[in-house]
Amino acid sequence: MAQHTLTDNLQFPESDSLAKAFFGVAVVGIVASLIGFFVNTEQFYFSYLTNFSFVATISLAALFFVMLQHITSSSWSVVLRRIPETFAYLLFMLAILFIPIFFGMQHLYEWSRPEVLAADDLAQYKEPYLNTTFFIIRNIFYFVIWSFLGWKLYQNSVKMDKQGADASTYKSQKIISGPGILLFGFTVAFASFDWLMSLEFHWFSTMFGVYLFAMSFQVFLAIAILICLYLRKQGLLRNTIRMPHFEDLGKLLFGFTVFYAYIAFSQFMLYYYANIPEHTMWYYNRLQGSWETITWMLLFGRFVVPFILLLGLWAKSNLKLLAGLSVLIVVMHFIEVFWIVTPVLHEAGITVHWLDITLLLAFAGLFFGLFFQKFKSNSMVPKNDPLLAESLNKH
Amino acid sequence: MSSEENKKLYGLLAEFKNPGELMDAAKAVNKAGYHKFDAYSPFPIHGMDEAMGLKKSKLGWIVLGHGILGMLGGIALQLWVHTTAYPMNISGKPEANIPAFIPVTFELTILLAAFGTFFGMFALNKLPKFNHPLFNSQTFEKVTDDGFFIGIEAEDDLFSVEKTEKLLKDIGASHVEKVYDSE
Repeated sequence: MAQHTLTDNLQFPESDSLAKAFFGVAVVGIVASLIGFFVNTEQFYFSYLTNFSFVATISLAALFFVMLQHITSSSWSVVLRRIPETFAYLLFMLAILFIPIFFGMQHLYEWSRPEVLAADDLAQYKEPYLNTTFFIIRNIFYFVIWSFLGWKLYQNSVKMDKQGADASTYKSQKIISGPGILLFGFTVAFASFDWLMSLEFHWFSTMFGVYLFAMSFQVFLAIAILICLYLRKQGLLRNTIRMPHFEDLGKLLFGFTVFYAYIAFSQFMLYYYANIPEHTMWYYNRLQGSWETITWMLLFGRFVVPFILLLGLWAKSNLKLLAGLSVLIVVMHFIEVFWIVTPVLHEAGITVHWLDITLLLAFAGLFFGLFFQKFKSNSMVPKNDPLLAESLNKH
Repeated sequence: MSSEENKKLYGLLAEFKNPGELMDAAKAVNKAGYHKFDAYSPFPIHGMDEAMGLKKSKLGWIVLGHGILGMLGGIALQLWVHTTAYPMNISGKPEANIPAFIPVTFELTILLAAFGTFFGMFALNKLPKFNHPLFNSQTFEKVTDDGFFIGIEAEDDLFSVEKTEKLLKDIGASHVEKVYDSE
């Protein structure tokens, strides 16, 4: 059997205008959203949180993926690892984008309003954790950890591109990833409590962290598939990211579709079955009025349809199907984040404010623009990785 | 092995030196049009299924069928119990309470799919099988150590002792022998 070696051009073409197109979209989104900020400040912050969470979860899951590959010394993913590495690298930029949320806390989080705190026993009880100062300290702590991990894993990887894979750099990737993945577990769980769960501070779910993680990892895999497919369509890395790699991504997407459903349903089931008023409230609100439609959409769009279509072996190597399902999952992920955040503001029913759309353009444009900008700046494949040969010859 | 002529010929067993040769040989035998043959090696060889021209296993469909049966059975069982046989008011929820049925339905789907996998695999491989004619060959003992073999069954339509032996020798078999059934 012929040995596969790196034969492709490893440089993302400078002429590719995708980054520019994304930045263009972002500028339109940002300008419109700034106007919206003065028109409806409260809505602005809710839309901001929705869209921030939408892109941040992609980067976070990418960081997890990179660390997971390092601690398990996985070889299959080496050819496509620069993609999640670049997403994880962007975390320090997301840290900057989180700052506005500190200013909007009183709009977003009831518990941070003094008048609510004075009148609500539960708010007082939870105050040692849910207070403005501690919220800010915690979030700075999360972003310092994530930014460091994302930046360092990327830097080491690029360093090996340029200087060759010396043993110490290679080993340091693993040394960072071990404790990194432990810290990641805790920080993501607490971040999910802080960002999204505390929007309704009377309610709590101990598995909200793993719920957000399950959502994130599924959508990250969908995004990774879409980017690999984009490269393929552009004629890039065709002999590097080959069918066996797509098949593995497809298998993971299938697996984490089931994992997502398992976690999301477990959370729902516990509250639904126990039937304790203060616990069911969160789901009760989301099963009222038109919000119920979205709840059903999530069940089908994020689990039933991808599950059935991805079940067969043939499906995982059908690139058109993978592309379609990945787009579906990305859209459903946005809708799910929207469904977590927006009922807090608009209890009565689905309300899509134009700020949701303009901020989506702003965030998605900026996030993917930055991604392609960074992706362009270095080789698209960690070309000196010791496991690269094994990855290229995957079958 | 006193009177070989009285015994029924099972087929020809050919030995090859290494996995690469075995793979090429399997391709050649498949190309020559044989269907009732098998490749034997001490470890799984990637790509052997395609080399031998094996069709996709039917096991997946068996498992799917069992899984669907388990799912429908689970829902039907609970619907019958909760609405007809023993209706009970559980915290004011509806009797036909699908969300609450999901865990049991899920477990039954998995259980039946697992049964389908396990017993389906046994049936497709015609297990349990207490002996195999190839065990009558002394050289075949190497198959758990360092031997790579192809066995072509006498039942194959194209089989003829001379022609098949020639084919196997041509494609590089280091050793070809006749194997007889036990009875």
